[in-house]
Amino acid sequence: MAKRTLLKKESESTRKAALNGFLIVIVSMVTLEATSLLQYYFSTKNITAEANRRAEGHLKATEIQILSVTDQVETAVRNTIWSVQNQIGKPDSLAAITARMVSQNKVIYGSSVALIDKNVAPYSFRSGDEVAQSTLATDEYDYKSQEWFQKPLEISGGYWSEPYYDEGGGGVIMTTYSVPVMIKGKPAAVFTADVSLDWLTELVGSVKVYPNTYNFMISRTGRIMVSPAETLVMRHSIQEVAQKTDGSEVFAEVGESMLAGKPGNTQLKYNGKVLRVFFDTISRTGWSMSIIIPEDDIYGESKKMGFVVLLLQILGVILLIVILYFTIKNQRDLNNASESKNRIEGELQAASDIQRSMLPKTFPPFPSRDDIDMSAAIVPAKEVGGDLYDFYIRDEKLFFCIGDVSGKGVPASLFMAVTRSLFRSVSNHEHSPAKIVTTINNTVSDSNDASMFVTFFCGVLDMKTGHLVYSNAGHNAPFMLTDRIAELPVDPNIPLGVLPGFKFSEQEVDIKYDDAIFLYTDGVSEAENINHELFGEERMIKVLHTRRPAAEQMECIADAVIKFRGEAAQSDDITVLFIHYLGHKDTEDGKVLKMTFDNDIKQIPKLEGFMDEVQEATGIDTSLTMSLNLALEEAVTNVMMYAYPKGQHGNVNLKAILKDGSIEFVLWDKGVPFDPTAAPEADTTLGVEERAIGGLGIHLVRNIMDTVSYENKNGMNILTMIKNTK
Amino acid sequence: MKVEIIEKDQTLVAKLAGRLDTAVSQEVSAQLQPLVDNADKTLVLDCKDLEYISSSGLRIFLTIRKAAAAKGGKVIVQDISTEIRQVFMMTGFLNLFEVVSTAE
Repeated sequence: MAKRTLLKKESESTRKAALNGFLIVIVSMVTLEATSLLQYYFSTKNITAEANRRAEGHLKATEIQILSVTDQVETAVRNTIWSVQNQIGKPDSLAAITARMVSQNKVIYGSSVALIDKNVAPYSFRSGDEVAQSTLATDEYDYKSQEWFQKPLEISGGYWSEPYYDEGGGGVIMTTYSVPVMIKGKPAAVFTADVSLDWLTELVGSVKVYPNTYNFMISRTGRIMVSPAETLVMRHSIQEVAQKTDGSEVFAEVGESMLAGKPGNTQLKYNGKVLRVFFDTISRTGWSMSIIIPEDDIYGESKKMGFVVLLLQILGVILLIVILYFTIKNQRDLNNASESKNRIEGELQAASDIQRSMLPKTFPPFPSRDDIDMSAAIVPAKEVGGDLYDFYIRDEKLFFCIGDVSGKGVPASLFMAVTRSLFRSVSNHEHSPAKIVTTINNTVSDSNDASMFVTFFCGVLDMKTGHLVYSNAGHNAPFMLTDRIAELPVDPNIPLGVLPGFKFSEQEVDIKYDDAIFLYTDGVSEAENINHELFGEERMIKVLHTRRPAAEQMECIADAVIKFRGEAAQSDDITVLFIHYLGHKDTEDGKVLKMTFDNDIKQIPKLEGFMDEVQEATGIDTSLTMSLNLALEEAVTNVMMYAYPKGQHGNVNLKAILKDGSIEFVLWDKGVPFDPTAAPEADTTLGVEERAIGGLGIHLVRNIMDTVSYENKNGMNILTMIKNTK
Repeated sequence: MKVEIIEKDQTLVAKLAGRLDTAVSQEVSAQLQPLVDNADKTLVLDCKDLEYISSSGLRIFLTIRKAAAAKGGKVIVQDISTEIRQVFMMTGFLNLFEVVSTAE
């Protein structure tokens, strides 16, 4: 059960780790992607804005440069008109004026004054460093039909002509600025200045906003003036070009916008490339300039960057997955290694915890009983220990035990658990502590490969009579608290688990009202302080000297140990069990006095103390006391001599029931059945030679007591002796 | 229980003090062995300070008495208390021993 849970936990934790890893990958991917998309979006926006700014700036700058030339020309023409007006009737003078125009203005290639009412049109033009003279008034030319002549008259103002090839002028592109010359409010001539557009080609073509920028310029009719494709220049119009292009419609639109003199920008496709087209019109001349930028140029860097970023991201995610994979794998390996160890320890710990949790721990344990006050406690050491105690009442008998398993750790706690459950199961159908202990010993010895052992004390207290039977398997002798404190005599039995088949002995003692038994493990007596001094029995007795309720007594002992230990670590479990017997206060018949003897004649002098108590309680005289003492000694000695085989340990129990007018002495033992009253009586009349050495004892008993009777009941020899006192 | 033996002329006096019960009987028996060994002489058991005696003590007395009877000696029990005299009565020992009192 526990194992399954732990295994489940393990796979759960691994799955959790994998899920966490998966989530980390997803979240980081999403975050990275979102960031780069955002970055891409904003950088694209910036790049577009930058491209617009640069293109428009370039258009403006080009216009300004163009205007600086056209202004120069227009100003020169305007400033010279009055001279033309003054000299209108003198053709030679007019030629001089035009010559001066050319020589004084470097941008002007040629100049002419073409009269309206006469066929006179002197023309000066630059020829190398010189200014040459000619005339436009030739038959072939018919200057009056020319655009530059008609248009200014038509609009009554300055007019920039369509660009044209000047074959005579060396094949350069030319444009002519012409103004009407008014005489008395009427046009009398047209004054012209020809301007070469060589510089324009250079100016417009020179500026590269981006590496592959494509600049071109068209005239107001759409004729291509400047273009990197030189074959187009002056031969084709934008409309013609548009028809040959993929995005013809868009291109046509661009052309229209340009021709309409509107600034703007648009996108078009050409040869599979996306192009950005910026355009603006140069004022007065009617020319339009356009800058075409491939979007690859604009966004190329950012796209390249985007690609690199994406690559880095993919690489990063792969790296993350790899790291996570190995982390989870390592974690799992680690888990598996430590889990198998932890699992075993945890499970065994759980097993011993379960066992320990089944020990009685509700105090007072028998609330409905007024004949017992008991308490028990285990203060576990840090390391799992092997202390145990247990107790319960069955058939008006208190079964109790305390034990201490050798060693510490999981094996000890397991052994403890086994011992404790054996105690429960064996004592469930067995009254004799010796048999209980013997059975447990045989079981734990049989399967004790670890060579562990447990010191164990087992007691069975008859709650009605206060008769305690106990068997001690190598445990510390408990303390008996009567009017004094002394160790309960214990037989030197071996601990459990050492020798299978060992016969454990049991002992008996009668506990009087208000007597108490204190059981403990060596975690108490051998508690060490920082100076390696032991707590010892003296300190225990000192605490026990003050009688307290059981629970309080246990607390005082634990406190004393803890206080004594001080800074030193707790090396062993501390287990205490306290049984305060409050039963059997008085019998119906009167006061009962009790005494238990080992089957050892050395204990005979105890009788004197017992008889002192009887004398004190009854008020009988010293002579009778001595006689009764003698009778009892004879009876007790008899049991000691005959009830137990030689060398076998046993108990002899005596009680005196003090009645009004009589004292009833009951002597009982669990030895072999033996009736002292059946023994032959000594013949006190015989002489010295004939007198037998034995037989005097029972004779004395019979003589001193008024009634002597024997019975064997429940496996016990019971000798009842009554002495009338009135 | 205290045992003290004093030898004087042809007489051995054993002074017994305390309680002669079963617990000490073996020890006392050993201590009184000289009396058994000298059973041909006069043996005096001085019981002036003997507080108590049980059957095991009486057996020692009887053993000594039997030895004296065998070897021709004499046993005198001297100054027994009222309680012990009762015991002697109950057990017929008064018939077996010469019980004397020195208090006059």
